[in-house]
Amino acid sequence: MPDCYFIDSDRFNALFQQLKKDYKVFSPAQKEASGEKPQYYYEKILTSQPFVFNAYRTQEPLKAFFTYPYEEVSDYFSAQDNIKDIDEKTMIFGVKNCDIVGHKIQDFVFLEGVAVDSLYRLRRENTLLVSGDCTDYKEVCHCLSWNIMPYAKEGFDLNLAPIGGGYLIDVGSKKGEEAVQKYKGYFSDAKESQLNARQAKRDALVERLKKHLLPQDLVPLESVQKVVKDGYNADTWKQFMQTCVECGGCNLICDTCHCFLLAEKKEGNLNKKVRLWDSCLYANYARVAGGANPLKARAQRLRNRFMKKFDFFVDNLKMPACCGCGRCIEVCPGKIDIREVLKDLAVKTSAKNE
Amino acid sequence: MNNIYRPIEATLEDVITESPNIKTFVLSLKEPFEFRTGQFIELTLPGIGEAPFTPSSDPNIKDKIDVTIMSVGKVTSILHNSHKGISLGVRGPYGKGYPLDKFEGKDILIVGGGVGLAPLRSLLFSLFAQIDKYNKVVLRYGARTGGDIIYKDAIAQWGKKKKVDVVTTVDVGDPQWKGNVGLVTTILKDLPVDLKKAVAIVCGPPIMMKFVTLKLLDLGFKPPDIYLSMEKNMSCGLGKCGHCRLGSYYACKDGPVFTYEQVKDLHDIWD
Ligand SMILES: Cc1cc2nc3c(=O)[nH]c(=O)nc-3n(C[C@H](O)[C@H](O)[C@H](O)COP(=O)(O)OP(=O)(O)OC[C@H]3O[C@@H](n4cnc5c(N)ncnc54)[C@H](O)[C@@H]3O)c2cc1C
Ligand code: SF4
Ligand code: SF4
Ligand code: FES
Repeated sequence: MPDCYFIDSDRFNALFQQLKKDYKVFSPAQKEASGEKPQYYYEKILTSQPFVFNAYRTQEPLKAFFTYPYEEVSDYFSAQDNIKDIDEKTMIFGVKNCDIVGHKIQDFVFLEGVAVDSLYRLRRENTLLVSGDCTDYKEVCHCLSWNIMPYAKEGFDLNLAPIGGGYLIDVGSKKGEEAVQKYKGYFSDAKESQLNARQAKRDALVERLKKHLLPQDLVPLESVQKVVKDGYNADTWKQFMQTCVECGGCNLICDTCHCFLLAEKKEGNLNKKVRLWDSCLYANYARVAGGANPLKARAQRLRNRFMKKFDFFVDNLKMPACCGCGRCIEVCPGKIDIREVLKDLAVKTSAKNE
Repeated sequence: MNNIYRPIEATLEDVITESPNIKTFVLSLKEPFEFRTGQFIELTLPGIGEAPFTPSSDPNIKDKIDVTIMSVGKVTSILHNSHKGISLGVRGPYGKGYPLDKFEGKDILIVGGGVGLAPLRSLLFSLFAQIDKYNKVVLRYGARTGGDIIYKDAIAQWGKKKKVDVVTTVDVGDPQWKGNVGLVTTILKDLPVDLKKAVAIVCGPPIMMKFVTLKLLDLGFKPPDIYLSMEKNMSCGLGKCGHCRLGSYYACKDGPVFTYEQVKDLHDIWD
């Protein structure tokens, strides 16, 4: 049984209509952005909407399907366990490799360690991730600088690669294999020539992306931990922080940021425990009893974000918590660019070392 | 499925006033609950908020736990005004606790400041329960004034125990106070411990832990033998919410007790 199949466009559209009956399907819709490349937003596909193949990642982070900005996580004092999540098979299209790699951080946090978050696990188990090769990139895209390819080789359930007249479908998991078996009639085995065509498209995009990134002279994966560590006392943090309005957008939109706060909610006489996404750029993030705050200065909070991404996770998971998707760059009203912060640190620390 | 955020219901059985701003809350839990000394819990006032505390009772007592709490802010001040009989939520226990096996055969110096004696009381109970395993226990405790000393009667009892040596001090003296006056570092002189087989366990406000640690290093204690309770903002207790990051550790799951060796090269540990 080959693990790569071909499906032509007509059959794919028919299959997509069928999937909407069998699964809760989320797939991106395209919105034109003036003077820029179009943007893609997730929508729950209900009607006979046709399939849109997004050329690059969506605006929303993938994590938003697995933890929510605000949600109830527990009742008080009910004898039984009280997770009420709907047990519904879900399929998410439009995922890109940056999302897949970034999502490893969420999986690490919520599925590993001292305890498993069962709500997260339920959603993860119920969901098929359908990734797709990138066919274009955004100005802010810099996956390649972290050695992340703009197409996925693992971590997905199914992967779509557009080639002439249809798609090649890679199977990446048991769940993916089961889905393919269920809709077997739609697929044929991939031919050598089709695989070659896919490789040519992939290589071409990588070349274009390299051309885009090379002049930017970004900090490479190998040295990023050293750069943030050596730059701990650099004035970079203070300088870049000048335009921060502490909106938290960079954290909230980030596919790797996972911080949350447990809080209380009162509903009449009933109390609930709620979980809210949190941001380390918020002033009270690290506040402790009596008002003391180890991250009191704004520059300390920007630094915390970088130390968490490029020191903590490199130590704990052997990968930085940045997948190069550039969402934080797009969202920031203060125009603080993660690429530029790292470059500035690199310049200042190498100057110091000379 | 096990919901890691679900609090266990506990009844507030008793409230004991220890000092003007510190009270001990005696809880009985409605589900089986065990902790190792030094582990902490998240205690919730339903609908109001939760905060981390380290049980101050003997872990060998299974049907009740004590938490000794200083009133400093929102949750703690409402707790201080709470009465017997109310329901509270308990999550946990979290963290690693004290590595008692590493203390076996040792001279154990315990240095507490203020409400920092709370977790240390639990540790002392654990040590006393198997005192044969340890060479001796030396307690040095400082509070702001005589009135701020907690567990007064117990401290007097402990001092009479075999293999136990207790000295207390206050920062600020007053006419009623007959004992030592001076910061806790001033009673770390001429310690009856053999440095070759001594460990030190410190719990108190960050500034106190800083100066005690420096003093201990001065006296010749080695960084791997100094155990510190690191206070960080905590929410989940489970290594998930991100708040308690300490370098490449999470204080909640990798601590809250760390050796000085583990943290000495990290930035800003006393902030
Ligand atoms: C592991 C551990 C063990 C501890 N053990 C003990 C113990 O045994 N006894 C003891 O007395 N103390 C102990 N403490 C300290 C205790 O947890 C604090 O005193 C307690 O959290 C204070 O809570 P509060 O709500 O009364 O204080 P507050 O000062 O009102 O609030 C403190 C907490 O609430 C958050 N907060 C407050 N206001 C805001 C706001 N406006 N926005 C966002 N966040 C806010 C802070 O970030 C902080 O987390 C321990 C702490 C830790 C980490
Ligand atoms: S960062 Fe890379 S993988 Fe992500 S959308 Fe851009 S080109 Fe695709
Ligand atoms: S998105 Fe920009 S302005 Fe908003 S918190 Fe992040 S760095 Fe600050
Ligand atoms: S308290 Fe949540 S990670 Fe430590």
